[in-house]
Amino acid sequence: MKAVGARLPRYDGLAHVTGRTTYVDDVRVPRTLWTKALRSPHHSARIASLDTSRAEQHPGVRAVVTHEDVPKNVYGHLEALGVPGDEPLLAEGEVRYRGQPIAAVAAEDEATAREALELIEVEFEEREPLFDIRKAFDPGAPTVHEWGPAFPHFGPHDHRRVRKGDVDAAFERADTIVEGVYRPGAIEHVPLEPQVALVVPEADGRLTIYSCTQAMYFSMGVVAQHLQLPLNRLKFVGGTVGGGFGGKVDTASETIAALLAVKAGRPVKWRWTREEEFLASSTRAPWHIELADAVTKDGWILGRRTLTLHDAGAYTRFSSYGLTKHAFHHSGAYTIPNVHFDGYVLYSNRVPTTAMRGFGVTSVSYAVELHMTRIAEVLGIDPFELRLRNANRIGDTTPNLVVLKDPSTVPVMLAAAERVGIELAPEYRAMTSEPRSGELLPEHLAGAVSRTNGKEAG
Amino acid sequence: MNLTVNGVEARLVSPPLASLLHVLREELGVTSPKAGCQQGGCGACTVLVDGEPRRSCLVPLATIEGARVTTVEGLGRPDDLAPVQAAFHEGYAAQCGFCTSGMLIAAHAYVERGGTDERGAILEALGGHICRCTGYAKIVAAVSAAARGDVATQAVEASYEPVPGEPEVLVKGSPA
Amino acid sequence: MAAFGDGADVTVVAGGTILMPELTYGRLQPARALLLTRTGLDTMRRENGTVHLGATLPVAALEDAPEPLASAARHVADPEVRAQGTVGGNLCAAHAAEAPRGDLQAPLIALGARIRSTGSGGERTQPVEEFLAAAPTGRLVLGIEFEEPQAGAWAALDRPHAHDYTALAVSACRGADGSDHLAASGAAPRGIRLAAAEAAYAETGDAGRAGRDAVRDAKFADDALASTWYREQMLPVLVGRALSQLEEAA
Ligand SMILES: Cc1cc2nc3c(=O)[nH]c(=O)nc-3n(C[C@H](O)[C@H](O)[C@H](O)COP(=O)(O)OP(=O)(O)OC[C@H]3O[C@@H](n4cnc5c(N)ncnc54)[C@H](O)[C@@H]3O)c2cc1C
Ligand code: FES
Ligand code: FES
Repeated sequence: MKAVGARLPRYDGLAHVTGRTTYVDDVRVPRTLWTKALRSPHHSARIASLDTSRAEQHPGVRAVVTHEDVPKNVYGHLEALGVPGDEPLLAEGEVRYRGQPIAAVAAEDEATAREALELIEVEFEEREPLFDIRKAFDPGAPTVHEWGPAFPHFGPHDHRRVRKGDVDAAFERADTIVEGVYRPGAIEHVPLEPQVALVVPEADGRLTIYSCTQAMYFSMGVVAQHLQLPLNRLKFVGGTVGGGFGGKVDTASETIAALLAVKAGRPVKWRWTREEEFLASSTRAPWHIELADAVTKDGWILGRRTLTLHDAGAYTRFSSYGLTKHAFHHSGAYTIPNVHFDGYVLYSNRVPTTAMRGFGVTSVSYAVELHMTRIAEVLGIDPFELRLRNANRIGDTTPNLVVLKDPSTVPVMLAAAERVGIELAPEYRAMTSEPRSGELLPEHLAGAVSRTNGKEAG
Repeated sequence: MNLTVNGVEARLVSPPLASLLHVLREELGVTSPKAGCQQGGCGACTVLVDGEPRRSCLVPLATIEGARVTTVEGLGRPDDLAPVQAAFHEGYAAQCGFCTSGMLIAAHAYVERGGTDERGAILEALGGHICRCTGYAKIVAAVSAAARGDVATQAVEASYEPVPGEPEVLVKGSPA
Repeated sequence: MAAFGDGADVTVVAGGTILMPELTYGRLQPARALLLTRTGLDTMRRENGTVHLGATLPVAALEDAPEPLASAARHVADPEVRAQGTVGGNLCAAHAAEAPRGDLQAPLIALGARIRSTGSGGERTQPVEEFLAAAPTGRLVLGIEFEEPQAGAWAALDRPHAHDYTALAVSACRGADGSDHLAASGAAPRGIRLAAAEAAYAETGDAGRAGRDAVRDAKFADDALASTWYREQMLPVLVGRALSQLEEAA
């Protein structure tokens, strides 16, 4: 515990400030080939034909791969957790987002790889793309996946549900209903280090994979599955990441580089350009969140109805997991005894979306905090007081019935008020996280808090 | 074509319109300048060309024939850091480290030409450099410290031995 | 100059800040390249009321030039790019798909600058607008000259970051002869003269009128920096600001 609260130098600090940290792109292996990928120019299209033969014959080209070269082309990032895969490593028959990889080339140098791309012949039949997930259920809306507009594997449902208490009764008892729609947009992570992988086929038959992944063992599993290799044939070298912020949780470059390295029998590097990074790397998802709260005029939230649409982009990746986290946090840092939540993961013809700093939670926090302020405005109550009253206390339960042992809303709100110089009334300044009682335990919360005050939740 | 890179003269075979970044990384194996965008937009590739900070990805080799090029490898060694390097290390101004080489070069040039610890001037000097990790606050603080000469000459080291008679801290100046 | 000849197949490389990414990404594969480094064209001279800029004068050196050129130059990129990019490269910058480029074109138009260039048919000196209208490929810019103005002013939308181009800027200038000139960048693919606005201001002295008329001079387009709608709203505002600054400075 000596390290807690102490100022420790970063273990990698000296290497960083002397320019000696070795990132993936800094690893030098002789005879390394360069990679370029042919990416879809269309948001949605059928691939009518694909012919790589001229590229293969181009001088200096050492390997060209398409879906036909992938031992297991379709795999999902959550397949190990039982979610069926839906994403091809290299597009097969159709493309669902602009920038989707269709084929890849490994050549002696970058310029040759680029030339070879020009020699790949593809014919597309363009289709109308879907960008606005609010239209996904409309009759006649463009189809992204044959099985329907939504991710269908939330148990028996095609959406994530949370039900707690009696929402209808709460809405009947309410003095006012406060509604709001919140639409946080997509964000590109823009790590300063673009996506990069270097794969070296070793003499003993193993592949050494220098990876910029944020999730070594996930990535190892993904590569092993696509290539159908046992894990002991893969040696991952990683941990030095030039910024990720969630964007490097997806396994984006390692697998295709590995495929090319195996086919060419040579080390292969694939470094994306900044343009590719913006065009084809995953982003934080755009969300559509509708909230309706049943509130009393003295500032209690009796119940909440939520509809969330999560734009997964063209493939699932981790979206269902992100939505689940979103669902569990949808009352924010506040206690709401009656909730009804429906959340859909919907597909669009955008680039697949992924984790980014608080995966799934940031979007709902954004909505909830704006909504709290809106409620305060509607009721004419101080927004700090509204928050402090409804703030989580020890023994309160979350939407998914977790009993809180150590909630931090109250001390954080008090500290925030102090920092920004807001004078709170003495009874608010004196608030703590202690279990609810008296004024803070109105009748509507009586059944919703744990009688054991969280002691059983150890 | 010739360049002197970190004091060592190099004869080069890269084509005349190759970027200095390409020459440094791919021909000479000097990897501290990073290829963050190769279009002038991030600053991670910045090096000193005859003492002036330049985006190496924007510099055609032929235009700097014979120049002196300095990269972070040439600023200081782990046991003999330049003030900006020490300040970045001490002040946690490098997180993932990918922007750090470029930041250090720009900061070094700024301090060398007598830049002060004024925030506006530092922001202007580092204006071409993007950092996605730190939020810049620690970088600006480190450059200020270096401009004031307020840096330890020796790198921060952790000590797990409590100093007798003093409160138990691991690093001098620790808030603990 | 001889190496340039009639300019056919020659790619002129000045600072390289626009050209290098094109070369790196293989979008441009020059048959022949002409490097302007060490041609001695990197000077600024002020003589008998005339300012002479060499084509390879770095943008950074314009910080001491007359307004509105100095302010416009200070808002090009960041100090490192300004030290490398040249005034000639800025003038000849082709419009990019995602943004108008060449922020110095408009102030040079407002200053009534003349471009000295060479190419097929030999050397020639012509006004900036005429030079730009002829799409300046096939010409090698040697220098730029203009009379010291009585006063100049520059008003622009703020850039969120040094890497952004200025979405819209207005240059105003009171020439040596006392006449007022207006030009804008970001209002068309290249810098343009705001002729209708100039006429309205000369006639009525009303900056508001000039601002409204300026919209007629513009050829707005949506791009990564701003929408047509936004530029339409902001151009009159900037014209008004530039003119009131001009009156103050005069
Ligand atoms: C990060 C970044 C931010 C930028 N921000 C801005 C900005 O805010 N505003 C802005 O205006 N620009 C901006 N630029 C673009 C550019 O840096 C400037 O326009 C610069 O002045 C271009 O000059 P150069 O000498 O580098 O051009 P070069 O790249 O050398 O040349 C540009 C073009 O002009 C031609 N050319 C150059 N000199 C001559 C000549 N003498 N005769 C004939 N043709 C010639 C070239 O052939 C080429 O087509 C930015 C660039 C970067 C990388
Ligand atoms: S790599 Fe040169 S500025 Fe980004
Ligand atoms: S430390 Fe990661 S980008 Fe600056």
